[in-house]
Amino acid sequence: MTALADVTLEVPSGLVLGLLGPNGAGKTTLIRILLGLTRPTAGDASIFGRPVGHPSARARVGYMPQDVALYTDLTVEENLELFGRLYGLRGARLRARSREVLAVVHLAERRRSLVAELSGGMRRRVSFAAALLPDPDLLLLDEPTVGVDPELRSEFWEYFHHLTESGKTIVLTTHYLEEANRADRVVFLHGGAILATGSPEEVKARTGASSLEETFLRLVRARTGGRT
Amino acid sequence: MALRRVLAIARKSLGQLAHDRRTVAFVLLVPLVLMLVFGYGFGGQPTHIATVVVNEDRGPAGAAFLAALPGGVLDLTASGSNASAWSTVNSGGAWAAIVIGPNFTANAKTGTASITLYLDGTSPTIAAAVVSAVQTALERALASNGTAGSPVRLTSDYVYGSSSTPFIDTIAPGIMALAILFITTVLSIIVLVRERSAGLLERLFASPLRPAEFVAGHAVGLSVVVLAQAAVLFVSALAIFHATFAGNLLFAYGVLLLFGVGNLGLGMLLSAAARSEFQAIQFIPLLLIPQILFAGALFPIEAIPLSFRPISDILPLTYAARALQDILLRGWGVAGVAVDLLALGIYAVLMLGGAMVLVRRQA
Repeated sequence: MTALADVTLEVPSGLVLGLLGPNGAGKTTLIRILLGLTRPTAGDASIFGRPVGHPSARARVGYMPQDVALYTDLTVEENLELFGRLYGLRGARLRARSREVLAVVHLAERRRSLVAELSGGMRRRVSFAAALLPDPDLLLLDEPTVGVDPELRSEFWEYFHHLTESGKTIVLTTHYLEEANRADRVVFLHGGAILATGSPEEVKARTGASSLEETFLRLVRARTGGRT
Repeated sequence: MALRRVLAIARKSLGQLAHDRRTVAFVLLVPLVLMLVFGYGFGGQPTHIATVVVNEDRGPAGAAFLAALPGGVLDLTASGSNASAWSTVNSGGAWAAIVIGPNFTANAKTGTASITLYLDGTSPTIAAAVVSAVQTALERALASNGTAGSPVRLTSDYVYGSSSTPFIDTIAPGIMALAILFITTVLSIIVLVRERSAGLLERLFASPLRPAEFVAGHAVGLSVVVLAQAAVLFVSALAIFHATFAGNLLFAYGVLLLFGVGNLGLGMLLSAAARSEFQAIQFIPLLLIPQILFAGALFPIEAIPLSFRPISDILPLTYAARALQDILLRGWGVAGVAVDLLALGIYAVLMLGGAMVLVRRQA
């Protein structure tokens, strides 16, 4: 089975790109290919002109996996320090950077807690903080806002745009189609293929729908010839 | 390979231990328990063996022989007749019967004296201990009697050790090597299984971390654990069993570390090769049992049937146990154990290298 077929995509820097689609659409596979964790059976991918998976490419990419992957038997701070060191941060700069990213996710006062003691939502926030830590040029975020309460979710989006203003690029996946309205560009994936791509306004205008959800349904119907 | 990332992984491993006091206790208690269990359970010659004696001798030689029996080995009970002594052994009331004939003193002078033993051979170890005690006593008694016990005089001159070398001294090096094998194998298999099942392996390899750095980092972290465990082994052997070692303890320490690192590589390699945690755990008995039996750590390799002996040549524990025995008991230096060190070095390099290759495939 191929999870993705015929996906050609170029992501310009300085944008938030939302990968949208149902479970099994190929969103996570696409992210994993960009990380070099999954090798495509055909085709190739590059980041900043370097082949994906190359350590020099990986050094410029921050990653938040869909399932939280943290050492639950270490503290929040120790987790961040580990990931920071792997990306070459050290000493005072590492500590300062850890504090900065924990402030972004509102967990500064929990930095000494074991990850095992945190709620699921808090763990996701730590996972996001770990992705931000090396101040990467590209952030690959797999479902960054799942389990995050609406207020903080809104803050996350503000922060995404704050990052893109300084030239960073963000590729994220989401289930929440409405929050994808805040992306600069969306890519609708379905069955491993791209249904549409463009700014949220463009894709909505193209199908004449009022919402991204409606847009998606129309696109799927058009593709499957009316059968859903 | 960047040292910075190797140390980051090592620091992570030790950090996990620092938060987990139970595992720390486990890591330090297991070598102690293994030393105690093997030291006491394995460590002794049989003593206080129930034995019946029939002394029909009317002269002094029979009594002199009995007095010359080494103390503590046999618990003697007198019996009236040859027949009742035999039936005591037959009914399980004693392991052996010693029958001294009526003309023992007289015959001793002509060199024709004999003693009859009835032995329960269901325990060869006990039977051998009885025979050896009786022979020792015979030689002593007849020598002091001015009579030659045997026309041939045997002179034993110990090149290493002595007839009174405590058993624990001889077995402690094997126990140490076995304890390190046991703990390092189990720990390294479990570490990788845990990282993989929690998605951490993938998360780590999304960073600039390379597989070689991952393996090396864990090797460094677990080496600290091995050093602590080896310290527990040495201290318990010296303090509890009063073992006396002829050789350089620091050198022996180094051999244990080299052996431990090889085992870590093997554990990680197998863990990476396994498809599931369940499979990985099943490697543990497969690795341990042949080494316990065939590596000469507890039982001499000479006790293995000839056709099976080549197995011991491919077991890493064989080289570790032999090197430790040579260093601690014979006091040999690097030149004496060069072959074993080379074998252990090759083992460590191959296993760590293999682990690096397999971990890369996992990522």
